[in-house]
Amino acid sequence: MGWFRVVAAGMAIAWAGAAASPAAAAQTPVNPMIDIAYVEPANPDFAPLYEGLKRRKVLEELQAFLAPLLLPKRLTIEVAQCDAPNRLYAPGGPVTICYEYVARLRALAEKIPADGATDSGVTRDDAIIGAFVQATLQRTASAIIDIFDLPVWGREEDAADKLAAFLMLQFGPGAAARLIKGAEFFFNASEHAWNGADFAEIESPEAQRYYNYVCIAVGADPRTFAAGGESRDKPRSAALGLGGVFTQYRAVKCAHEYAEERWAFQKLLLPHVDPVLLRQVLARDWLKPFDP
Amino acid sequence: MTALVGALARLWPRAALLAVLLVAASGLHGARAQDDPALANDRIVITYVPPRASFLVPIYNRLKERQVLEQLKQFLSPLKIPDGIVLKITMKECGETNSWWSGRQNGLFLCYDWLDYALNIASQIDDPHGLTREDAVLGAFLQVIFHELGHAMFDIYEAPVLGREEDAADQMAGLILSRFGPDVAKRTFPGVVYLAKSMAEADGDWEHDRFADDHGNWLQRAYNNLCMAYGADPTTFAYVVDQGLLPKERAANCGREYAQISHAFAVTIYPHIDPEKMKLVQAKQWLRPEGQEVPDK
Repeated sequence: MGWFRVVAAGMAIAWAGAAASPAAAAQTPVNPMIDIAYVEPANPDFAPLYEGLKRRKVLEELQAFLAPLLLPKRLTIEVAQCDAPNRLYAPGGPVTICYEYVARLRALAEKIPADGATDSGVTRDDAIIGAFVQATLQRTASAIIDIFDLPVWGREEDAADKLAAFLMLQFGPGAAARLIKGAEFFFNASEHAWNGADFAEIESPEAQRYYNYVCIAVGADPRTFAAGGESRDKPRSAALGLGGVFTQYRAVKCAHEYAEERWAFQKLLLPHVDPVLLRQVLARDWLKPFDP
Repeated sequence: MTALVGALARLWPRAALLAVLLVAASGLHGARAQDDPALANDRIVITYVPPRASFLVPIYNRLKERQVLEQLKQFLSPLKIPDGIVLKITMKECGETNSWWSGRQNGLFLCYDWLDYALNIASQIDDPHGLTREDAVLGAFLQVIFHELGHAMFDIYEAPVLGREEDAADQMAGLILSRFGPDVAKRTFPGVVYLAKSMAEADGDWEHDRFADDHGNWLQRAYNNLCMAYGADPTTFAYVVDQGLLPKERAANCGREYAQISHAFAVTIYPHIDPEKMKLVQAKQWLRPEGQEVPDK
């Protein structure tokens, strides 16, 4: 891991929250082809989320973060009330993060003590940031696939997940670990039971997505993300609930999975990235405390 | 030949299924497969390895007799294999119900055990939608071949795979099965779906840990295949929606999904295909019409 910081496309979105200053944001050019919107919610319950996200300029940070991406047409990224738990990207856009979704991930994260962490070391802050970044990146990845008409083998929602995971891993071990672990926590916390015709859905089961993120991370950086990476007394595999099927069967394939994703990114997306802007983006400290 | 098949059907149902399958897969009328120079490709090497298990010997014998690998080699002849690579395709006893792409060095392994398993599943078939035992085996057999060939092509051509590769390989198989007209699709997709649903039933509900598998849940795979069939040909496969086999919500996206798969093939694989040979392959009748038998030599 690390080649990306030198030559790759900086499309990842990590949130600069309260600590991001307007001056710092102003120094990094924004992507002129990206429009942002905080859509005022009709439901007053979402007003605090709306105000909080606006105050922290999360979408402005995203615009700056995506600056290296040479988009051939405009893309709108918004936070809005969806009247649904979630909204997937549809061809033509926009990218929409729902207040409902943010509220849900915040509610899940509040299961973690404010001053504590899960067995696998996830703090409340990491859970919120990681899940939010994952959702935003995943939908933006879908938009990128659409805009550049990329060839997609495999299910498209999984492709967007894998691309999001890949981008989250490009921030160096510390930040990447926080993002990935936060996303993992969110998927693992889902209590959605899948039966019968549920498996016809376009999105994959949360448990399956969880292992996809775990595997990409292990493939990228086994030292940080694999069993025993953090504590000899509390192996990460046990803390993450990585049982026999992962450790005995999937784990050995993760390096290949990561390499395959890296190759796909290099071949399909790197030509659409400005390398100078990329270096500027990667030089910034993007990941700061965030609480919508 | 017709009398022999009839005799086998009375005495050994599994053998009859095998006989019919291999008759169906044996391809051309008239000339022997290897006599068609237009479909030669010396970068594809085929091998039948004799099995040690006695119960697999009939399968081995019939596959060889019917020149199934020879037919497959001709079918794959349009593939432009890169320099330094030979596409090896080996049929053998594997000791497990599996088949796999082993990499560029050792190539593709297709297992008699898998075909034996498919025959066992099909012999129990009692499908309310009219799927025949013969077509169940045909679909399952062809799907696994083309699935593993999908892995081979992704590797050999260094195709960028943004999604999960096992799903991608399923898509490759489905795409191939959909490109030879509605008759081939009608005879093969239902068998693919039937086998996937049978596997799902045998698996039961998946615990959390099971989702670590890089293969999708068998029901997911069944729905993916239904979606591909419907997306490719909503007229022929209208019944999968009408009869509730594929939820309407998913069906509404299947045209787009199929277009996505077609696009991926066009961009990443088609440049490696000889278009003139491809036309010859697409013009041939690779599956005999149901009920027609190959005459004795």
